[in-house]
Amino acid sequence: MRKGLLAVLLVLLVAAGFAQGDKLKACWIYVGPVGDYGWSHAHDQGRIAAEKALPWLETQYVESVPEAQAEAYIDRLVKQGCEVVFATSFGYMDSVLAAARKHPDVIFAHATGFKRAPNVATYMADFYQLYYLNGLMAGALTKSGKVGYVAAFPIPELKRHISAFALGVRAVNPDAEVLVRWIYEWYNPAAAKEATEALIAEGADVFAFTEDTPTVIQVAAKKGLPSFSHYSPMKRFAPELVVSGQLVHWEKVYIDFLAKVYAGVYTSKNLQDVDYWWLLSQGAVELGGEYGEPVNPRFVSALKARKVNHPVFGKVSVYDLVVKELALMRDVELAFDPFQGPIKDRRGKMRVPAGLRLTKHELETMEWAAPGIKGPWPNEPK
Amino acid sequence: MDGGGGGLRRIGPFLIEKDLVAPPIRVLLVSAAALALAFLTAALVFWAYGVDPVLAYRTIFVETLLSSGGFAEGVRRAIPLLLAGVGLVLAFRAQFWNIGAEGQLLLGAVAAAGVALFAPLPAALLLPAMFLAGFVAGGLWAVLPALLKLRLGVNDVLTTLMLNYVAVYLVEWLIHGPWRGRTAFGFAYSDRFPEPAMLPLIPGTYVHWPTLLLALAGALAAWFVLTHTTWGYPVRVTGDNPEAARYAHMPVFRVVFAVALASGGFAGLAGVGEVAGVHGRLLEAYQISLGYGYTAIIVAWLARGNPLGAMLTALFMGLIFASGDVMKISLQMPFRVTDVFNGLILFFLISSERLLYYRVRWAPVRKGD
Repeated sequence: MRKGLLAVLLVLLVAAGFAQGDKLKACWIYVGPVGDYGWSHAHDQGRIAAEKALPWLETQYVESVPEAQAEAYIDRLVKQGCEVVFATSFGYMDSVLAAARKHPDVIFAHATGFKRAPNVATYMADFYQLYYLNGLMAGALTKSGKVGYVAAFPIPELKRHISAFALGVRAVNPDAEVLVRWIYEWYNPAAAKEATEALIAEGADVFAFTEDTPTVIQVAAKKGLPSFSHYSPMKRFAPELVVSGQLVHWEKVYIDFLAKVYAGVYTSKNLQDVDYWWLLSQGAVELGGEYGEPVNPRFVSALKARKVNHPVFGKVSVYDLVVKELALMRDVELAFDPFQGPIKDRRGKMRVPAGLRLTKHELETMEWAAPGIKGPWPNEPK
Repeated sequence: MDGGGGGLRRIGPFLIEKDLVAPPIRVLLVSAAALALAFLTAALVFWAYGVDPVLAYRTIFVETLLSSGGFAEGVRRAIPLLLAGVGLVLAFRAQFWNIGAEGQLLLGAVAAAGVALFAPLPAALLLPAMFLAGFVAGGLWAVLPALLKLRLGVNDVLTTLMLNYVAVYLVEWLIHGPWRGRTAFGFAYSDRFPEPAMLPLIPGTYVHWPTLLLALAGALAAWFVLTHTTWGYPVRVTGDNPEAARYAHMPVFRVVFAVALASGGFAGLAGVGEVAGVHGRLLEAYQISLGYGYTAIIVAWLARGNPLGAMLTALFMGLIFASGDVMKISLQMPFRVTDVFNGLILFFLISSERLLYYRVRWAPVRKGD
């Protein structure tokens, strides 16, 4: 990835040198409001950061665009002079492709999708590595051996994250369980509260979640139980009890992509194979419940006290393990991966043979559940 | 106060009288005044947000009414509103208080998706079968509460409303469970409909014209049935006075049953149009409908029991929806401003409702009175 970084720098320099005075207009379509603490907010932060970083960039956004309206909205945006359009929800996929055929000179990038075209690229910043690291810490901190997980929808993205999380928990605590509750909403504080309380009643004493509010953190904190932040820096909602979490940096993707468009590397003819699947090593995601703080200092001593026998590092504290594996994944993609075989699913079927890892496609379509996960798992393969 | 329509209050030389039959010209004048007040109040909101109200209205006017694309977007939203709205006009005329158009619309979408995805039909029959299935499914979803009302006296407002939620969860279950698409990468969508199950569009727009024609024909047919046939008479009498209808040996049961079937059926057709003309797949309930079933209540209510009036009110509400797009994109306002705008219009229209039943008469006081 060092090479990739150099290329970006080069492109930035070239862009700065050659095309001064020319503006590029990029526009964003969000599925939700920018004022929440979730997905659309994070993309909008990325847009703002890109606009700050790139003096020649002009941006516009539209929030809360229903899927049925996406194509008509894109028409309007193109009419207003948008040269690059970022569509930030899976549900926009077909609309983006139809719009791309209609506006062949406009460049499109679609988040989380898998269909591309000469003028449509796809991109995603994924958390599964962070979930594994959070799992290590959760496994060390649980006293009851039960970790609670409040989950939005049973789709592959969440199944991948929860499985990575459970693999981490079990790596430290081989008998621990991850109790999962689905609430079937991206945003529903009331359901999240109910699910957390039910998990507490079942004996869970550490919490992680996928939902766009800090509800799980707040409900757990009332009982003095630790939790992991999700998507936005949520440490402030329980500074004593948020251990770590997942943070996103969409601006890394946006700045890279736009700089290459500006320099003429990406055109409306050559995006057929441009697919960003960005992880720790590209800096698109960050470990922590607060920027710049991978692990809450209040939990460091507890994590240092817990020792595990690691096949490579030998006897090592969980804190050191997190730091080492974080460094490995941040530096070179190939050094370590949570889905490193052999891994069986919770029914005992071999899913990742020894010596292998999952491909991107296998990660994107993952349906099986890692050992230790307890609770319903819709569409679980036999 | 007497209820019979005599003089009520005198302001200077004007006499204000009660008049329960509102002539169309008064309806138009009062509604126009309410709209003007709503636009004035919204102008204050625009101004407070930092957008020049004159510029805002000029942009909205030019881009929704004068630009072909903008107008077509209004028409596209008017299609489900008209279908569901006409159905509700029928229901309300018979005093069947159907608040469940949203759920009936979703059932229509479900039935259409079922036919499109699984029925082994020849391509030419696919779309007609989808519309038929949608009509039947939506209709039955409304017949259920109608039967509960007729046989057990269960409040129809509650049952129709609650069935909306059942419909939402039915859709959610289908797209997360048995109908989840193999090409959807685990996301909650069905597979895409085959090409012959998709409605054609007017070129250059997103208007699925077969549904539009169906909606216009439905409005005309409903108007004709209500005013020009022996079918319409019992519907109106049942609505105005069910006891009298029973006394006159009118088939109250059959009337309410038929009205419920038609009302839910029209909403079901709207659902077919949305999935076959816009989405091309079954997807999350709130993405399918955008609340058309609820807005259709306002469409029907503003149309004042007249199916032809629903053509106007559906187009009006459709254009209001489309003006929201303009506000979001061209004026860069937050998406909530659309709701504020729509809410103000409804607020003033509804609060002016009482004024329709009063008339102001020039009647100076004569000496000796």
